[in-house]
Amino acid sequence: MEKLQRTIDALAIGGWEEVLPKKSAFESCPKCDGVKDDEVKVIKTCCRACIANCGVLAYVKNGRVIKLEGNNEDPMSKGRMCAKGLAGIQALYHPNRNKFPLKRVGERGGGKWKRISWDEALTTIAEKLMDTREKYGAETVFCSTGGGGNPEIWSIARFCNVFGTPNWFEPGCAQCYLPRVLAYTMMYGGVDPSIADSNALELYFPDDTPIKCLALWGTSPAYSCPASGGNAVVELRARGVKTISVDPRFTPDAAKADIWLPIRPGTDVALLLSWTRYILENKLFDADFVMKWTNLPYLVDTETKMLVRAEVSSDPNVPDTFMVWDKKTNAMQPMAYPFDENLDPALEGEFVVDGKVYKTGYQLLWESVEEYTLEKAGEICWLDPKKIEEAVKMFCENTPSGLALGVATDQTPNSVQAAMAAATIDLLMGNVERPGALLQRFRTSGVLKMPNYPVPVATKCLPEGQLQKRLGGVEHKGLHIWWAGHPSSIRDAILTGEPYQPRVWIDRSGNKLGVVAESAKWVEAIEKLDFIVHMYMYPTSFSAYADILLPTEEWLETDMIVETCNKLFARQAVTHLWETMDETLIWSRLAKRCAELGHEGCQKAFDAEFMGEDLPYWDSMEEFFNNFTKVVGMDWKEFAAKAPFEYLPKDEWRTYYVYKNIDEATGKPQGFPTPSKKLEIYLESMITLGRTGQPFAAEMLPPASKDYEPLAYYLEPIESPLGDGELQKEFPLVMTNGRVPFYHHSTLRNVAALREMYPVPEVWINPDTAKEYGIANGDWTYVESLRGKITAKAWVTEGIPPRIVYMERFWNPETLDTKTHGWKEMNVNVLTKSTAPFNDVVGTYTLRGFQVRVSKADGPPEGVWTKPEDFKSWLPAGHGPTADPSKEG
Amino acid sequence: MKQFVIVADLDRCIGCHGGCQVACKTEHEIALGKSRSTLYTMGPTGKFPDLEMYFLPLMCQQCENPTCVEVCPTGACYKDEEDGVIKIDGDVCIGCQSCKRACPYDAIRFNQEMRISDKCNVCAERRAEGEEPACVRNCSGKALMYGDINDPDSVVSKAIAAAGEENVYSLKDFGNKPAGRFILRNAKWIDMLPKEFEQMMQNGGEYRG
Repeated sequence: MEKLQRTIDALAIGGWEEVLPKKSAFESCPKCDGVKDDEVKVIKTCCRACIANCGVLAYVKNGRVIKLEGNNEDPMSKGRMCAKGLAGIQALYHPNRNKFPLKRVGERGGGKWKRISWDEALTTIAEKLMDTREKYGAETVFCSTGGGGNPEIWSIARFCNVFGTPNWFEPGCAQCYLPRVLAYTMMYGGVDPSIADSNALELYFPDDTPIKCLALWGTSPAYSCPASGGNAVVELRARGVKTISVDPRFTPDAAKADIWLPIRPGTDVALLLSWTRYILENKLFDADFVMKWTNLPYLVDTETKMLVRAEVSSDPNVPDTFMVWDKKTNAMQPMAYPFDENLDPALEGEFVVDGKVYKTGYQLLWESVEEYTLEKAGEICWLDPKKIEEAVKMFCENTPSGLALGVATDQTPNSVQAAMAAATIDLLMGNVERPGALLQRFRTSGVLKMPNYPVPVATKCLPEGQLQKRLGGVEHKGLHIWWAGHPSSIRDAILTGEPYQPRVWIDRSGNKLGVVAESAKWVEAIEKLDFIVHMYMYPTSFSAYADILLPTEEWLETDMIVETCNKLFARQAVTHLWETMDETLIWSRLAKRCAELGHEGCQKAFDAEFMGEDLPYWDSMEEFFNNFTKVVGMDWKEFAAKAPFEYLPKDEWRTYYVYKNIDEATGKPQGFPTPSKKLEIYLESMITLGRTGQPFAAEMLPPASKDYEPLAYYLEPIESPLGDGELQKEFPLVMTNGRVPFYHHSTLRNVAALREMYPVPEVWINPDTAKEYGIANGDWTYVESLRGKITAKAWVTEGIPPRIVYMERFWNPETLDTKTHGWKEMNVNVLTKSTAPFNDVVGTYTLRGFQVRVSKADGPPEGVWTKPEDFKSWLPAGHGPTADPSKEG
Repeated sequence: MKQFVIVADLDRCIGCHGGCQVACKTEHEIALGKSRSTLYTMGPTGKFPDLEMYFLPLMCQQCENPTCVEVCPTGACYKDEEDGVIKIDGDVCIGCQSCKRACPYDAIRFNQEMRISDKCNVCAERRAEGEEPACVRNCSGKALMYGDINDPDSVVSKAIAAAGEENVYSLKDFGNKPAGRFILRNAKWIDMLPKEFEQMMQNGGEYRG
């Protein structure tokens, strides 16, 4: 007979069996009611190791999670889980979790902490907040989030509005996703095509989507979201869909692509403009669609750069009437929405009427791309023009096609323009809302009112006038789409006291010092602050500088509503450990303490009548979720018990050509949710945004120092390899970043199962370049920029172009208690640039496309762990479930 | 005779390290630094920018003439007649590691704590409960399949037939006759043992296939 063995090893990365609690602890395992000792209960939940929310089956025994598997009911992950998600048990039971609220004793950064109660922690923080507000104004308090592992982000914006400060930020935002959201929202009005942000949903139906070509631009789903997007691309390739990878790294998706364009980091806009030029010059665009459904035939006053209006509409259902040049009458004529068949509008041309010069949007688009020939793009982007042509032809000859833009272009000061240029290509090709297109407005359940997460930000709570004080908010008004402040402006205000001195920082995030550009400058700022609170699942480098630490929940401890295609899922607390608390509740509790101390805004935030749709603050997650699940006729308990379920049959959910639907109010096609109801390739509303903050800011704001441009333009990176100046001599190589499949943002570097596979960050160097600097494969290597010096391990590979190097963000939890606090050794963000030039619209700084040099190092930095056994002390610790403190009185 | 085995479609493997690495290790509670399967990066080969690369998840190849079984002094390492899978009986294993040394593919690990050898048994425990092996269950690219390669109707046999003979490879045979198969259409198969290839790459060598 076969022996089924279970071996237990001292270094076993699971190690659950021997540490299972001897006694049942069901009273504190919320979903284990009635489950007997030693019985295994399978709970349907959702992952949150990244932002993909994949459906998960959690196996729980005696209140302890013993196994995770993907849930086959998930229409995106289709039952798969990636390395990050599967490592969730190790993250959950990590011996170094933040277990209780802690208060610093001794000097800041001294690493000495004292356990305190939640009551004391919240009271201490609230008193400090109130005191600071009274002495210096609410705006001198600021909050931040990001860094991965967040259940949701809007609680931070909401708390700031309620407390009265306009200042919260994320190191993401302008550097991650916001530029794309902004451009696609303004130009198209539907959902952007970011695969890693769980969009481009057409890709998840490989058996019937007619898509023929997918351009993966600055994204490798195999690395960012293997179980969902990674798998989707695999399925499409298996069915013959052609793929193009635009990426300096030879990623798995680059290796499997039909064409790989290993672009010089930071030059994407030049390549995008060359594609547009090629498409226009060779008339490869969808001419009928462009004429009828984009604003390119509309005339622009070349002096004001504004579109010419025959009539301004006062009815919100009816767009303004714009002018075209009618070839039949050879005159300027008003174009009735949606299209007047009696007119024959000129697409190209310059027209002079009464001495004023008018051009069509198309004409201006052509002029904006005219200089970007394939040869010129090849020169700028370090690409073979023939390869560029092959790629753009493949994209245009195989329609429907789609351009999935990744995070890469969000990380340079040319960010918003890259997203505008990318959107332009799909809009020109008519890759919009037809079967096979990535740009779609499929239906939604209506359960979540806010983008992706339920918490209402309650902008009305921010006292009048406070918005004017948002740091960076006047210059970079695109940030208002997410109600966010500008990180470098906040940091500079701390360092200079101008325009005022921020004093208190509450942060909910992974390692801030691992993800903000130019970490050292932030530590300088930290030293000037009066009070710092950090809440997270485990201590990070940032915690070392905090005054109070609050323990938050791992994803296996949290509840959340998750919408995935035509289904609703529930993330469910599978267990609970120590005294951790859901972040969404922590902010609510903090507002309550401030209300008790007399804060009028916080008091009103608990008033149901005043808050209305913004909801009064909640005492429990259940109470909070009930507000949303009622849309589908359930309370949270019922919802969680039934989830996942279809809220619409798949075919009703997948709606195409939404713009053609007849609007009952007007009897005309509803068009796109843009001011003109057309696709606004000539983005006039950028000018309005820059001058007023509209349509995103809650108040009218003064103009930015310079108008934002309605068409994309290329910016050579400020630190460029071109030329032979001092910079190029000293720092001859171009640095880029990008994901590995083991980590999300700054998370999981403390998880043994992942660190043993990727113990230290690699710096990829082409063999020709490596030879020049005397570096061999596997060598410890110094990497330096104008801003600092770090160490990495060299991977000498043909998979990166000569003179370009790549590194993944990193920090070292193992040196947390040393003087480096783990952020100085191998953190590429010591090298990145947080100062101007910023992207004009959203303030993006430089995370990719800056100059570095490499040299051989003697060895690894002191105290850094490199061997699998080194991570032994991070293996799951033996403790069972506990009662959730938020549920106690 | 039945021959259960894992077959990998390498065109579908995206190198994510999820199913074949983390799921396998947690399922079998394998120590740090050890694993029952290894994910090899086969490349990039060629000269920039004309490159090829694929990933190769490697676990026990369930050989027809297994050298590990041949060299085992106690009979702990045996080929199960029921499913053709090579297994190690931990109660009989004396931890001499002869099998580990004999395996040409480096697919056997030594469990330091238990002092016994340890290897992929195509998740015999899970199969007994009607479940797929952990790696197959969690493979993001759905690159991994398992089944009886001697049964023409099995998933693996059908996948091999559909791929066509010219696109199906096995690891270098030293007379041990590996049963495992790899499907690869979109890159050139590197005819080296993955471990040797990796070592060559690490030493800065160049593959001239």
